[in-house]
Amino acid sequence: MLGRRGTLPFFAGPPLLWLALFFVVPVLMIAAFSVRQGSGAVGPSDPWVPSAEHYQEVLGTTAFLRLLGLSALMALGIAGLATMLAYPIAYFLTFRAGSRAPLYLTLLLIPFAVSYLLRVMAWKLMLGPEGGINSVLATLGLTDEPIQLLLYSRPAVIITLVYVWIPFAALPIYAAMQRIDRAQLEAAADLGAGPWARFWRITMPLSLPGALATYFMVFIPTVGEYVTPALVGGTDGIMYGNIILGFFTRSANWPLGSAMAMIMLTLTLILTAVGLRSVNLRRVAA
Amino acid sequence: MRTLYAPRIPAVLLSIGLLLAACGAQTGASSDPSASASDGGSEAPAPSAAAEPDELLVLEWSGYEAEDFWTDFASANPDTEVAFEFGDTDANILALMQGGSQADIVHFYTGWQQFYVDEGLVQEIDTSKLENWDKVPPEYQELGQVDGKQYFVPWDWGFTSILYNTDEVDEVTSWDALFNEEYAGHVSMWNDGPGAVAVSSYINGWDETNLTDEQLAQVEADWIEQKPLNAFYWTGEYVDLCPAVQDGTVWVAYSWQGCYATALAAGDPVAYANPEEGRNSWVGLYGISAESESPELAHEFLDMKLAEITCGNAVTLFYYGCANGEVMAAIEDPILVEAFGINDPSILESTNFTPLVTEEQRGAWTAMWERVQAE
Repeated sequence: MLGRRGTLPFFAGPPLLWLALFFVVPVLMIAAFSVRQGSGAVGPSDPWVPSAEHYQEVLGTTAFLRLLGLSALMALGIAGLATMLAYPIAYFLTFRAGSRAPLYLTLLLIPFAVSYLLRVMAWKLMLGPEGGINSVLATLGLTDEPIQLLLYSRPAVIITLVYVWIPFAALPIYAAMQRIDRAQLEAAADLGAGPWARFWRITMPLSLPGALATYFMVFIPTVGEYVTPALVGGTDGIMYGNIILGFFTRSANWPLGSAMAMIMLTLTLILTAVGLRSVNLRRVAA
Repeated sequence: MRTLYAPRIPAVLLSIGLLLAACGAQTGASSDPSASASDGGSEAPAPSAAAEPDELLVLEWSGYEAEDFWTDFASANPDTEVAFEFGDTDANILALMQGGSQADIVHFYTGWQQFYVDEGLVQEIDTSKLENWDKVPPEYQELGQVDGKQYFVPWDWGFTSILYNTDEVDEVTSWDALFNEEYAGHVSMWNDGPGAVAVSSYINGWDETNLTDEQLAQVEADWIEQKPLNAFYWTGEYVDLCPAVQDGTVWVAYSWQGCYATALAAGDPVAYANPEEGRNSWVGLYGISAESESPELAHEFLDMKLAEITCGNAVTLFYYGCANGEVMAAIEDPILVEAFGINDPSILESTNFTPLVTEEQRGAWTAMWERVQAE
């Protein structure tokens, strides 16, 4: 039998080791690359000379900073839309679906069985000139010719990402709502509170921590998104992550790409910290 | 900066012209294998193939792992394990090699060969071990040489020009069609800095290997202004460009001949321009890693790449030219004849070949392109 002292390392050790090796170490490597002098790829035997030149180049290039700001704004909006659309789904599953909740939950998770890339490619077809949306609009007589702006645009990136995130976003909210003590709702009803009052005074505050967690879980990876913009964004929908990718692939300038990644990581952490500090979850839940 | 590129152009043009005109099965100028081997100057005795691991790792472009692209080797070596590692740009592939890739064989395109030699990433090719080497026109062979030594085996080749929809666009006679505002929203440029610099240099009559800072700034400004005209910057010829050309999204595109042949075969209304500034042409090169533990097997693999069936597959299945002159001379399919401009003997007279440039130039061009995209 494992004692209490032995239990923690036994269960926590492997995941911590995994995180250290495949998350912390890579981040440290990127940080080290970002302050390495020179450009180009880095061989195992190449010298490492510290320099701030790459940070100076990124911070001195208006186009990069503007795109970073735009990408952060897009991520804020996409996270907000995905959370708002996921919330009613979670509410329905928790309070309205009854015995069919497991079935609906399974249906919600079905998109995860399809590769992320395929789901985005499906939207490329949907938004294309001969895609589903243009076909419906033409059939209804609302358009004479396909709307080209549907695909290869910033709205296409936003629509696709919101779609991709909704099932993912619904789960933490659903988990938060599951933890709400039904007795509180019953007591409120006994005391004369109507459905809206029960929602605003009990359900909403108690589920808000889950909703906020969802919001940041969507926001953080969306800032650096590059697959969806590459597939449906066109030249108009390029995000900051696409430029980082370009420096690691087309340009093979790993140090500059690393500096861009570190700046994005820093901004994301700052925005997340500010967001979490500005919302006093305990007070909201109380 | 090497300068051997420019003097070779006329010879290359003449050779390819002869090749495309199908004047003969061979150029009659095949190299002497023994002489080529001595060029290599192997100091150590060649290792026995039997002593090598019976496996190869090829650093390739996605799609080239299809067995159609190495079918002769697969047939001759059914027990050999051939694995592939992928890069998606020439810069990425060079970076993987610099980073210590274990690949035995690397595939990249003209313009990058000097870097591999300067950094000692590849070993000389012993052409005496290549039975199909004499089917490669001498000028192609020269493209694989650096400092007079044969480091690379040329394999696939093709053109770059403007592919356009003839229903929507008048005849294209210049690269500046990519900048024509009439086609706003229906243009697609390749997502590549050096490609953008080449186009601007053609239009402005500049020597792309000798651009001034002011000229590069002008290139950047021009492409920033051109950016809204694009539907998207394409990255994969068959993945994103061809479907968009065929569904009518893209009317004017920077394109290789493979997409043109694909659209032509499908009966789409397309044409491939002969710009007054000249087309661009590129050649794919294979090298053997300096660290390869299977150099004999690697030589056999490259020899089999030049064999008739494998080269023929590249031409007929993927619409790429192949360095085996006999295969190209035998082309009769009208779509391939059109795609390679075989009936137009003047087409190569103004073709621009991708030049060798310095690492600093490539760095400046690719960084410029990232800034264009970020705008």
